[in-house]
Amino acid sequence: MTRIEIEMDLCCGAGACVLAAPAVFDQNDDDGTVILLDATPPADQREAAQEAAARCPTSAIRVV
Amino acid sequence: MVHSQAAENPSAQPFPTARPAGCPFDPPAPFARARAECPITPLRYPDGHIGQLVTGLETARSVLADTRFSSLPAGKRSPVKVPGSELSTDALPAGMFVNMDPPEHTRYRRLLSKHFTIRRVRELRPRIQELTDRLLDEMASASGPVDLVQAFAKPLPTLVTSELLGLPEADRAEFGRHVDVLFSLSTTGEEMQQSMAILGGMLHALIAAARKDAGPDILGRLTVETDLTDEELLGITIVLLIAGLETTTNMLALGTYALLRHSEQLAALRADWSLMDDAVEELLRYLSVVQIGPIRVAAEDFEFEGRSIRAGQVVTVSLPAANRDPLGFEDPDTFDIRRGPSRHMAFGNGPHQCMGHHLARLELAIGYESLLRRFPRLELAVPPQEIGTREMMVTYGVLELPVRW
Ligand code: HEM
Ligand code: SF4
Repeated sequence: MTRIEIEMDLCCGAGACVLAAPAVFDQNDDDGTVILLDATPPADQREAAQEAAARCPTSAIRVV
Repeated sequence: MVHSQAAENPSAQPFPTARPAGCPFDPPAPFARARAECPITPLRYPDGHIGQLVTGLETARSVLADTRFSSLPAGKRSPVKVPGSELSTDALPAGMFVNMDPPEHTRYRRLLSKHFTIRRVRELRPRIQELTDRLLDEMASASGPVDLVQAFAKPLPTLVTSELLGLPEADRAEFGRHVDVLFSLSTTGEEMQQSMAILGGMLHALIAAARKDAGPDILGRLTVETDLTDEELLGITIVLLIAGLETTTNMLALGTYALLRHSEQLAALRADWSLMDDAVEELLRYLSVVQIGPIRVAAEDFEFEGRSIRAGQVVTVSLPAANRDPLGFEDPDTFDIRRGPSRHMAFGNGPHQCMGHHLARLELAIGYESLLRRFPRLELAVPPQEIGTREMMVTYGVLELPVRW
């Protein structure tokens, strides 16, 4: 199963994750930080979530 | 293994700026040689300081993500003397979060990021399109060749930023003139300080106006929604100007030049506009206009990738070099708009990664496509060898781009 962990302290609100995996991540309208839409996304979202983790500039996303 | 970086290190090279002859889009050749040796190599700064140069993609990513490489101004030096680099940073207003580390930096990012989310930026699309079309209408009314930098690449980001900040239309010309001075090649430190002072006055007036009657623009929102002081708002505004204008202007002009010089790529784009977003990404990678820095200063002694870094050492990342790393990109020196998703570093990495990247991407996509559609026969009006480039500036680009259609 795919599980996603976020380290909120690290998030700088760049929104790279939303571009890479819009079904899994959103951006908070108040401070731009990441909103995890689905902490255990379906298998077909795993690759996108991994791409998001790789693109996150502060390595705030972990896909386990 | 610990490499020596003692001040007498004879192998430390100066930072190269000369572009290869006849190839204005390729980074200075010594970068590739340094990278082949090691992704991080000793670098000699103009005052004799020996620091590091980062040319490898993954190492560049690691350095910028590692806050032991600090963004604080103390001890920071530019690897080359560029206009303004000798200015003291002591007098800078509060709120210039580019020069901060987390957690201070985080506080400002959190207050500002909401204005640069993908959603907010998409809402700006119609307005950016309108401003773009207006500029192109004006350009089309000229008969002879036009300098694309002055007619289009400069005014578009200036207009977009003016909108974001809520700058009244009547003030935009004067505002643009002083911003020009800040970014001009021939500006002296004195002129720069003078224009900074005038811009500071204009911005203070703008902030005062926003406090009285807050509009829907960023400054208006910040006065209502945050407890930022006037000084901080000034600093933030200056950061937005410095970070957002010159970069986008040079991408627009140099990007157009690159497309005009790669006719088969341009033809492919004209035949299929759905390639536009990929073309923007490839232009960002291939051109990497931020050519001097990001610059960081080691905050402590530590081991980094087998090398001992000493507190106070200055590290300069070369984004053009990182974005041509063969370990990161196949045929890195080939411009190919069909390359597909690539993890380029044109916007940096780590907590300071470009806050305006969604906006920049949108401005570029709208800018290039509208320009090319409006002028189906757009071409250079002078031979390529007459087009001068900005080798000694933080942001690379063309000095002028005379075009006709
Ligand atoms: C194509 C155009 C652009 C390029 C290539 C670019 C590139 C960059 C780079 C490389 C950095 C990192 C600096 C560092 O790590 O020290 C940066 C930071 C920044 N950029 Fe951009 N940028 C562009 C457009 C914009 C625009 C349009 C805006 C917004 C109006 C903007 C706002 C910022 C801000 C605020 C920062 C500082 C972020 C921080 O320190 O936390 N940029 N940009
Ligand atoms: S990419 Fe990383 S830093 Fe940016 S919003 Fe997503 S989690 Fe936060």
